[in-house]
Amino acid sequence: MLRTLRAVLARNPNNAILLAFLVATFLVLSFLMPGKFLSLRNFQSMGSQISEFGLLSLAMMLTMLTGGIDLSIVAIANLSGILAALCMKRLIASGVWPAESLLVVAVAVAVALGVSLLCGWVNGLLIARVGVSPIIATLGGAALYEGIGIIVTSSRGIVGFPDRFAFLGNGFLSIFPMPFAIFAVATAIFALAINKTRFGQTVRMIGANPIAARFSGLNIPRTLTRVYAFSGLLAGISSVIMMSRSNSAKSGYGSSYVLLSILIAVLGGVNPAGGFGTTTGLVMGIFVLQFLSSGFNIMAFSPFTQNVIRGTLLLAVMIVGYLLERRAGRVRRGHGRAPARVNEAGEGAPPPAGATPPAAAS
Amino acid sequence: MTATVAVPSLLEARAISKAYQGVEALSDVSLVIRRGEIHALVGENGSGKSTLIKIIAGVVEPDSGEIMFDGRRRNEGLDALGAIRAGIQVIYQDLSLLPNLTVAENVALPQVVEKGRKLINWASMRRVAETELRSIHADIDLDAVVEDLPVSSRQLVAIARALTQGAKLIIMDEPTTALTKPEVDALVVVIENLRARDISTLFVSHKLDEVLRISDRVTVIRDGKPVGVFAGRELTTSELEAHMTGRPVVRQRFETTAQASGSPLLELRGLTRQGHFADVSFKLWRGEILGITGLLGSGRTELALSIFGMNPADSGEVLLDGRPVTIRSTEDAVRCRVAYLPEDRVLQGLFQSKSIGENVVVTVLDELRGALRLISSSKARATVDRWVDQLRIKTASSALPVTSLSGGNQQKVVISKWLAIQPQLFILDNPTVGIDVASKAYIHQIVRDLARSEMGVILISDEIAEVLGNCNRVLVMREGRIVREVRSSEIIEEELYGFVSGNAS
Amino acid sequence: MVSSAATRARPSLVRRVVRRNEFYLFLFFVAFCALVQGVSSTFLSLENLFDVTRTSAGFAILAVGVLVVLLSGGIDVSFFAIAISAQYGAVKLLLALGISNLAMAFLVSCGIGLALGAVNGLLISAFRLPTLITTLGTQTVFHGLLLTVLGSRAINSSDLPHCFLSFSTANVFTVARPDGPPLGLSVFVPITVAVYLLTWLLIRFTKLGRGTLAIGGNIESARRMGFNVPLIQISIYSYVGLLAGVMGVINVALIRYVTPTTLVGSELDVIAAVVLGGARITGGRGTILGTVLGVAIFEVLQTSLVLLGLSSFWQRAFVGLIIIVGMSITAYQTKVRNARNLVFRLE
Repeated sequence: MLRTLRAVLARNPNNAILLAFLVATFLVLSFLMPGKFLSLRNFQSMGSQISEFGLLSLAMMLTMLTGGIDLSIVAIANLSGILAALCMKRLIASGVWPAESLLVVAVAVAVALGVSLLCGWVNGLLIARVGVSPIIATLGGAALYEGIGIIVTSSRGIVGFPDRFAFLGNGFLSIFPMPFAIFAVATAIFALAINKTRFGQTVRMIGANPIAARFSGLNIPRTLTRVYAFSGLLAGISSVIMMSRSNSAKSGYGSSYVLLSILIAVLGGVNPAGGFGTTTGLVMGIFVLQFLSSGFNIMAFSPFTQNVIRGTLLLAVMIVGYLLERRAGRVRRGHGRAPARVNEAGEGAPPPAGATPPAAAS
Repeated sequence: MTATVAVPSLLEARAISKAYQGVEALSDVSLVIRRGEIHALVGENGSGKSTLIKIIAGVVEPDSGEIMFDGRRRNEGLDALGAIRAGIQVIYQDLSLLPNLTVAENVALPQVVEKGRKLINWASMRRVAETELRSIHADIDLDAVVEDLPVSSRQLVAIARALTQGAKLIIMDEPTTALTKPEVDALVVVIENLRARDISTLFVSHKLDEVLRISDRVTVIRDGKPVGVFAGRELTTSELEAHMTGRPVVRQRFETTAQASGSPLLELRGLTRQGHFADVSFKLWRGEILGITGLLGSGRTELALSIFGMNPADSGEVLLDGRPVTIRSTEDAVRCRVAYLPEDRVLQGLFQSKSIGENVVVTVLDELRGALRLISSSKARATVDRWVDQLRIKTASSALPVTSLSGGNQQKVVISKWLAIQPQLFILDNPTVGIDVASKAYIHQIVRDLARSEMGVILISDEIAEVLGNCNRVLVMREGRIVREVRSSEIIEEELYGFVSGNAS
Repeated sequence: MVSSAATRARPSLVRRVVRRNEFYLFLFFVAFCALVQGVSSTFLSLENLFDVTRTSAGFAILAVGVLVVLLSGGIDVSFFAIAISAQYGAVKLLLALGISNLAMAFLVSCGIGLALGAVNGLLISAFRLPTLITTLGTQTVFHGLLLTVLGSRAINSSDLPHCFLSFSTANVFTVARPDGPPLGLSVFVPITVAVYLLTWLLIRFTKLGRGTLAIGGNIESARRMGFNVPLIQISIYSYVGLLAGVMGVINVALIRYVTPTTLVGSELDVIAAVVLGGARITGGRGTILGTVLGVAIFEVLQTSLVLLGLSSFWQRAFVGLIIIVGMSITAYQTKVRNARNLVFRLE
């Protein structure tokens, strides 16, 4: 019994540490500036900001679970926003429907989601059916999507959307900011999908061992294509919020979000090599980063300083992760974490590097 | 310098003991290898072979005992580099080559590194490589990139590399697993040539017939304890096996009650895949265990993978229950309830980092769905518990990582994952490689029970004894074709071995 | 006599050339140049050649650095951040000391670059961190630090130390023209050639160089063979940093302007060129010649955009498309080949 408990805890010590970190950050910030931090207004503002990169982090986690990565989420978001904005403008200009009609908003959202889904699907095809590596496919995709956005807008932003539309990013559902509500719903669906559907479980198994996944009858091409399509879709949802909040759509917005999502994913316990990661951890990571951002803003750190801190935090988290694993005797060998190895002879610690034989059944 | 009396023994490891966390891996084991000798180390999985090798190579320190090499006592403490300098070279199963570099570099670089040189002299590297390769009569293009070479050539490169560092003893771990028969013969020539040069070879192998054919002497260990040292030519494989397992070898035959009538479960007609197998046709009835055997390169695994959907054939038909089926992916296979137990349990069969439970249910995720088409954890647990129980998988909890299990229990996990889909056809590819004796027998039992439960079973194996003991019919494949079909009740081991190796017609 | 499949005598020179990837790259390059020349006859002119080689020198220098990292199985996206930091640091220092000395500029810039690159190398080797995410982190940190500490103000050409300006216009030789000022082959070009030559020598003739390839092939085997993996990794990333320092100085001279907000963000372009040239993203494979061709093709593709009448807005999309199409072809070939041979590989 105790062994089981220890095993389960051993698999998620990250979340426990993260929770402690989250609470500590909250307490420190509350202590340092009680008036500003612990206000409804601040919480609402945070809730609003959090959804933009929170959704992108969900997207990043999804692809990382399969052992891949999606570097095009921001580009997809921007392109979706641009095309949605264009459609909205055209529709309004054509006079077919009144600017403040719900239909216009619906069209905008539909276009954004549709475009993002398509872009993600293209990524998925390249990776799953053609066999391009995720880094290259999504880097190339990012350039392509961003490029299309630039061509279409001639590098200018599109501004000025109807108030109805602005509600999505700035409105409130009782005390909750609308974006936060959207984010919360999306996260709940995401968590459900990852943990409780066949799709989610397949994603994890593919990430853990794509070869064994194939040998177990799992449909890897279809699942991977869907993963990247959904990643795109999440970016699309984020783009609606971004557009609405900033009342504009342009190329190049939010370029630092890619690094931020990776940071959040790694902080949240997602293993870049694939197969492991919890939504709880990710959400905690999102909140930690949001608290830090708010704290930085209140303390008037420049965006450059904030970036430095984020970059350093990413490195620090990975270093700490490595050190912890080394202490537990599970030194990584290029393919992510090696589980605790107990072979038939009962060997615990791995032999020293130098003339280490590969693990082979005796 | 005093004239040294020629010490007959190159390596003398005496009274070696090693325990891990209270479990004895080796207990008072000795191994003596003479100069210019081909020596085999044999033992069932879990016998302590690999631990002994690691100790000799200086990677692991023994708890007690001493090692003399080349007349000198080996130092205390881990000294892998010292072992290399003394002349002990280990060639692991993965060969540890650099796939993207040329043959010449792979052979000569370790020596360059060892000498501490900073600059590369290509001419001298080529000379070194050429010399060593020629010394073992290997004619391989020096500029060929290693990853483009077949395994047999890569092995020769590994051996040549070992020689560049003045090896006096070359230890090979399962050297013939991935070799075809002619390649094995070629390797034997090389090893014998080394022997003529006073370089000894110690090889670990589970292929008993090869062991006896090739080696001068064989050391057998069992459960970490020494059994004895025997002359290769004085043993039969049955005797050797008896020494390894400690039990007299009982040859059983599998009797099936299946009638070869009515519609066969599986029928192959003229199945062909260019370069892999050609014109394969046979029938399999429910309740049968059909063995397919043949040397590496005979196409048996390729054929199995084809039936399983990983290697779709170019032409020919596959019929299940009389109806033609198209299986072009493993997903199709699972839908047709065709199961395949892969040869490489570690990489292909298991999700190493995942729990036992997750490994078991991965094939039946669909069926675990409950309300709202979401996976019900209670259903999952029930399924996992059922199989852990049924196959007697020894574990404290199914939430533990699958790597916490022994090899035999891991194989049971892979089997249970396939039994979960309630297959009608189960193909097992070398299911008992690297498994301890007890689990091996248990897995054979499982296989027989499967057949008795109206499943059709195909058992692919290298081991003639395993095939004859567990199958009612055996197909022999050679170079992609079925060359022989025999009833196991009507043939003896030596005959079948003859068909397989092509010595008999 | 034991033979193997690769036993035959070395194939003829012609066969060996044809089998290599670079041959097809070269053909493509030639074909595309011909195509562009057909559309716009000013393409293959001496003026254009001198111009392109001058403006792409910095890019080419970084490309060879990226090649070295890719060969080792890693990826580095921090080189522009390093280049900008090194460049800014050198200019600021020269201005502060009131010196106008090109050698000093190079020294400082390369020194900063080397140090920053070494940080990358240390992190990756000491903690066995994944290279992409690590260099993403250091890119952010380096760039952020630069902007925070040294400020984000640009430095105009009028404020630059004179050495940069004279470096900018320095030529190796000039060719007189009847209808205009003489054309000059910029000094940047021999520097680039020297860098390529040096890199080639290092990779081919030093233990470090072969070790780089060894790590990219199989890091564990390389370790077992006795290669000092941490040392090699630190050297690789330091070298990239050094090259970034060189590029930084050239870049200042080229655009006569120092602003910390350029370059960072276009790392993909350099990586794309190297990957187009045949270097494998998984490591272990790639050639100097391939990189030369990759850079050449990339530059030609970019310039052709303008000549074909497409605005610069199309650039980014074009780059993306090139990468996708180019990589799809190689990836699909590998995929089909692996499926045929029943090769199962973990990435």
